[in-house]
Amino acid sequence: MTPWRSIAAQVSGLRVRLLLAFALLGVTTTAVVASGSYFQARTVILQQAQDAAVMALTDQLAKVYPVLQLPPTQDELHLLAQRLSDREGYAVVIYRDMREQGSLTPVSLTPELRQEVGDGQIAWQRVSQDGQPTLLIGTQLRIDRPDGTSQPSGLEVYSVRNLVPEQQSIDKLATRAWLTGGLSLLLAVLLALLSARGVLRPVRDLGRAARRLGEGDLSTRLTVRGVDELADVARTFNDTAGTLERQVGELRRMESDARRFVADVSHELRTPLAAMTAVTDVLDEEADHLPGDAGRAARLVSQETQNLTQLVNDLIEISRFDSGTARLALDDVDVAAAVTATLRMRGWADRVHADLPPAVVARLDPRRLDVIVANLVGNAFRHGAEPVSVRLSADADWITIEVADQGPGLDPEVLPHVFDRLYKADTARTRSEGSGLGLAISWENARLHRHGERQGSLVAGNGPGGGAVFTLRLPRGTTDAGGAR
Amino acid sequence: MTGRRTGRALLAGGLLLGTLLAAGCGVRPSPVITGRSAVSGPAQGIGLYLVAQGELVLVLRPVKPTTPTPPSEALARLAAGPQQNERDQGLTSEVPTGLTAAIEVTPATGRFGDLTVRVTGPTRALSPTAIDQIICTAADAAAQAGLVGGPAPVTIVGSDGAQPARRCPAR
Repeated sequence: MTPWRSIAAQVSGLRVRLLLAFALLGVTTTAVVASGSYFQARTVILQQAQDAAVMALTDQLAKVYPVLQLPPTQDELHLLAQRLSDREGYAVVIYRDMREQGSLTPVSLTPELRQEVGDGQIAWQRVSQDGQPTLLIGTQLRIDRPDGTSQPSGLEVYSVRNLVPEQQSIDKLATRAWLTGGLSLLLAVLLALLSARGVLRPVRDLGRAARRLGEGDLSTRLTVRGVDELADVARTFNDTAGTLERQVGELRRMESDARRFVADVSHELRTPLAAMTAVTDVLDEEADHLPGDAGRAARLVSQETQNLTQLVNDLIEISRFDSGTARLALDDVDVAAAVTATLRMRGWADRVHADLPPAVVARLDPRRLDVIVANLVGNAFRHGAEPVSVRLSADADWITIEVADQGPGLDPEVLPHVFDRLYKADTARTRSEGSGLGLAISWENARLHRHGERQGSLVAGNGPGGGAVFTLRLPRGTTDAGGAR
Repeated sequence: MTGRRTGRALLAGGLLLGTLLAAGCGVRPSPVITGRSAVSGPAQGIGLYLVAQGELVLVLRPVKPTTPTPPSEALARLAAGPQQNERDQGLTSEVPTGLTAAIEVTPATGRFGDLTVRVTGPTRALSPTAIDQIICTAADAAAQAGLVGGPAPVTIVGSDGAQPARRCPAR
C-alpha cells in the first residue's frame, strides 16, 4: 500500500505532470506540423514527377508522327518501343493483339488504366510493381483526319517509369520529420524540467522554511523572487513569520521584565528585612517579659519576619535560576556523609530512617544537594506522615536519592503541579509554613547538575505503600557547564 | 480526476498519431488519374476503312509522299480487299471485290462538300457495313484531295438508284 502510494505520489507529482503535459504538447504539435508538411511535400513531389513524365512522353510522341502504315509491322512496333524507352523508363506499345516493350521486365497494365486509355484520354496511375513504386502513363496515338477530326489509330503507348528516386526523397523527408519530432520532444522535456524546477524550487523552499518556523526558528524568511503567485505566497509567509517573531519577542520581553521586577523587588526588600530581623531578635528576647497580648504579638511579628526573610531569599534564588546566573560550586563529595550532615544540622537525624551506603563519591555542588535534601525531607515532615526514609543508591553514571513518607501520598491532580511555584495543593490551607518555592528551587537545583547528555532530575510520585516518593537523580561526574539554561 | 484527464489527453494524442501513421509513408498506389485527351498527329498514306469485330478500323497504306492520291485510288484499293498483314490482324472487308473497277467519285455541283459515289452494281446488294466502309473511305479521300472542307455527306448511286446521303459514322 505505502510503496504504491509513494509511486502514485511520484507519478502524479508536479514534476511528472508538467513533464507529461509539455511532452504531449510538443509531440502533438510537431506531429501535426511535421506530418502535414510531409504529406503536402509528398503530394507536390509526386505531382511534379508525374506531370514531368507525362509532358516528356507527349513530347516524345510528337516525334513519332506522321504515322506511315497501319497496321504496323512487328519491327516498326519494336522500333517505336525502343525509341520511346530511355534510362528513366521504358515504353510498351500495343496494337490490337501485337505488343512490344522496350525492356525485358514483365509489366502488367491495370485493366482500369487500359479502360481509360481506350476512352481516348491520357491517363496515369501509381502502382507497386515488384515492391517498387512505379508510374504507368498511357495514351492512344490518334490520327488527325483531313476533315479536322481525329481517329484512333489502334496504337496505344504506355510508359513505365520507376518512382524510386521520388520514394527516396520522400523517405528523406520522413526521416527529417521523425528527427524534428524527436528533437522537439527532447526540447519539450528540457523545457518541462526547467519550468518544473522554476515552480518546484520555491515550493520546496517554502516547505523547508515552514518546517524551520515550526521548529521554533522565528527568524526564518524566504527570498521573494518575481511577482507571480508563488512570490505572493512567499511574501505572505514572511509577513506571518515577522508578526509571529514580533509578538513572541514582545511576550519574552514582558516575561523577562516581570522576572527582573521580582528580582529587583526581592533585593530591595533585603535591607529593610535585615533591620527588621535585628529588631525582632530584640523583641523575641523581651517577649517573655511582656504581658498577655503584647507578648503574643511580639512573637507573631518575629515569626512572620522570619518567614518573610525566607520568602525573599527563595525569591532571590529563583530569580537567579531565571536569569541564568546560577553557578555550581562543584566538589568531590561523599554523598552519604553530606546527607547525614544535612539531617543532623536540621535535628532530623533521629526521626529519619536513613539507608546510606558509604563510599559513594560524586562530583556535585554540596550546598545545592543540602538544599534539595532538606527541602524534600522537610516537605515529607510537613505534608506527609512519619516514618520518613531516605535511601541512597548509585551506579557508574548516576546517584539516586529517594525520599519517601508514609502519608496519604500525592493526589493525581496535584502531581503535575508539585514543582510549580507557589502552588497550593490544599486551597483551604491559605497559609503554608514554607515559602511555597522550596520544591521549585529543588527542581531547578537538580536540573542544574549535568554531564554531557545526562541532566539531573527530580521526580514526584507515589510509592507502592501509598506514601509520596520524591526521586532525585544526579549525574555522578557533573561538569560546570556555566548557566543552567 | 487529474489522472483521468491526463489519460484522455494521452489517448487523444495517440489516436491522432495513429491516424497520421495509418495514412502511410512513402509512395502509395493511386487510382487512375486522367489528363487531357490523347495525343494526335498527322498521317501519311491512303486511309481505308476495314472491319474488325463489326467495327470500322482505319488502316493506312504507305505511298510516296510526293504524289497526291485521287479519291478513286483509295476506293479501288478498298474494293481490292485487305492485304495479308491486315488479315493477320483480323481485319476484313465487306465490300465485294467485283465492285472495284466501276467506282468513281464526283464532287457535288450544287452544294459544295456533298459527294456522290457511283458503283456499278446494285446498291441493295451492299451490306450496311460495306456502305459505311465506302462512305468513310470516300469522305476521307475527298478531304485529303481538297474536294470538300469537312466531314461531308456521301450519296451512293448504283444501278438500282441512289441510297440516301449519309456521313461516316466512325469517329
